[in-house]
Amino acid sequence: MSKKDKNEILPKNLNFSFRRTMAIASRTMNQFRRDRRTLGLLIVVPIAIMLIFGLAFSGEVNNVPIILDNQDVEYMSINFGLNLSEALQADNSVDITDGDYTEGIDLVERGRFYAAVLIPENFSENIIRMFMGDDISGGLFIYVDATKPQVRASILGAIHDALDEAMGETGINVVQILAHEGAEFTGIDVGIPAVIAFVLIFLLVIVGVITVTREKIQGTEDRLYATPLRSSERLLGYVIGLLFIALLMITLVLIFGVFIFGARVQGNVFLLIFAATLFGIAHVFMAVFLANFAQNELQAIQFAPLTAIPSMALGGMLVPIVSLPVWLQPLSYLVPLTYGINLFEGIMLKGWGFAELWVDFVVVAGMCILFFVLAVLTVRNRMRD
Amino acid sequence: MATQSEYVIETTDLVKIYKTGKVKAVDGLNLKIRKSEIYALIGANGSGKTTSLNMISGALFPTSGSIKVLGYDIPEKRRLISNHIGMAPQDYSIYHDLSLEENVRFFSQLYGMTKAEFSPRYDELLKILRLEEKRKVLVKNLSGGMKRRASIACALIHSPRIVFFDEATVGVDPVLRTFFWEYFRSLKDEGITLVITSHVMDEAERADRIGLMRAGKLIAEGTPMELKKEHNASTIEEIFIKLSEGEIIDE
Repeated sequence: MSKKDKNEILPKNLNFSFRRTMAIASRTMNQFRRDRRTLGLLIVVPIAIMLIFGLAFSGEVNNVPIILDNQDVEYMSINFGLNLSEALQADNSVDITDGDYTEGIDLVERGRFYAAVLIPENFSENIIRMFMGDDISGGLFIYVDATKPQVRASILGAIHDALDEAMGETGINVVQILAHEGAEFTGIDVGIPAVIAFVLIFLLVIVGVITVTREKIQGTEDRLYATPLRSSERLLGYVIGLLFIALLMITLVLIFGVFIFGARVQGNVFLLIFAATLFGIAHVFMAVFLANFAQNELQAIQFAPLTAIPSMALGGMLVPIVSLPVWLQPLSYLVPLTYGINLFEGIMLKGWGFAELWVDFVVVAGMCILFFVLAVLTVRNRMRD
Repeated sequence: MATQSEYVIETTDLVKIYKTGKVKAVDGLNLKIRKSEIYALIGANGSGKTTSLNMISGALFPTSGSIKVLGYDIPEKRRLISNHIGMAPQDYSIYHDLSLEENVRFFSQLYGMTKAEFSPRYDELLKILRLEEKRKVLVKNLSGGMKRRASIACALIHSPRIVFFDEATVGVDPVLRTFFWEYFRSLKDEGITLVITSHVMDEAERADRIGLMRAGKLIAEGTPMELKKEHNASTIEEIFIKLSEGEIIDE
């Protein structure tokens, strides 16, 4: 080849190019613009999940049918039994039917009621004598179905609340002071932070892995390798394109959560958006990395349950981390959902800011870097296959 | 640094063993392709044609051997020369959910072309490839032959010096095939080097030179005339069958 030819082929724009990155990003976004069904799914699914988890799994169980047998009689003109049963009647977490305790036990066994409660004949007397220093024990009997822990917890909760109320006149009232500026939370309030984190993980992993895997299936990947495109430009391009989808989802979840379901945001809204964005980026990077291990769409879709199920189990979505067996708890800190829930719960419910949440922010930012580096390395590695 | 050579593509003892399978997909390939030559790499499915193209274009790293394209070492310097290479892989390899124009524009952006550079070149290519009416049509709604032409438009938008067409004329009707070969000739006249793979043997008769591949090796090479004379055959297919010794190739 002549010298002139040589000069002509000198490289141009070999450095990192924002233009090339944005070409990938806009093509990724275009894919969703054209695929209305997927776009619709990305909008509808978060709201559906929010409803299901927010309402059904929030731990609030109402109108549990129980049998109440109040045999208590007045003692020194005090009738705790009556006070107690009135308080229970007023509590909508249980639905009281008056009946006989022995029959009630039978009905619980047959699954017709969840509990039978007996307030014994000398309930008021025993309590009063106990307070006066007599060596005597007094209390209630509850025959309860333990097959559904949440139902059981709801019954016991109702009884404790009723006891607090009924004993009020004795002056041993239990005063509750709510943490986090006295905020009282509904099921949807408590559910939404976890749902935002979960929806971001679940949908971004699916959509991300499929977007990248499709490149392989369509054969466009071979073409991309023959262009000046860098691995880092390509991966950042996917991330920017997918982030657009993620932001759309986050906005919709927040709008629906806050304006339709009345979820509260005690902390800074901008910090919340920042946290959601960072969390979204981390998962897009993770998806791009995971996509390296999928050869086709069927394999790609398998990553969704693979990431979602351990997250749900260990990330504190269904069971609080402190309630997990001690040996299992360290694993919770390997699950990204843990940090997502910490961030969203912290900002939305506890009104925390960066000072309280910096560790979680650092972990999520670290995830972004880790998965980006892994993704770039695996793309390079595949060329050596 | 690049050495002076009359060849734009030069491979020496090129070997590719895929990590999975341990099969020698390419087994000691020595290719020398001159500037503005139409070189046809012919062989059965699985003979190593696509693997060879992917290594030459820098998309796949060789297990051993060396590659020089435009005087530069591949894969080390692949990004230096990638602006001068066009790739039309088999299976169209374009985005079905984008329009023709979006596809071509996308690839032009990857090659760093500005809007001012894109438009005249795009119009020119569409006219030649007879796709002018289809600018805004989604690729998935194009016919097979149109998709093939769209794929070629994406490969040529940045006016490369070397173009690889992997099975470019497979599933193309005779009229379009004739058109393609006329177009390939005109690209050659512009000084462009074309490497075309095919498993259709008579396709190769129209190339300047032919390399017959089998089991990752080059088993014969030359102009169509030379090859026919040397093997005393009237068609390339006949030569291929002779060289395969009647074996059923299932590689």
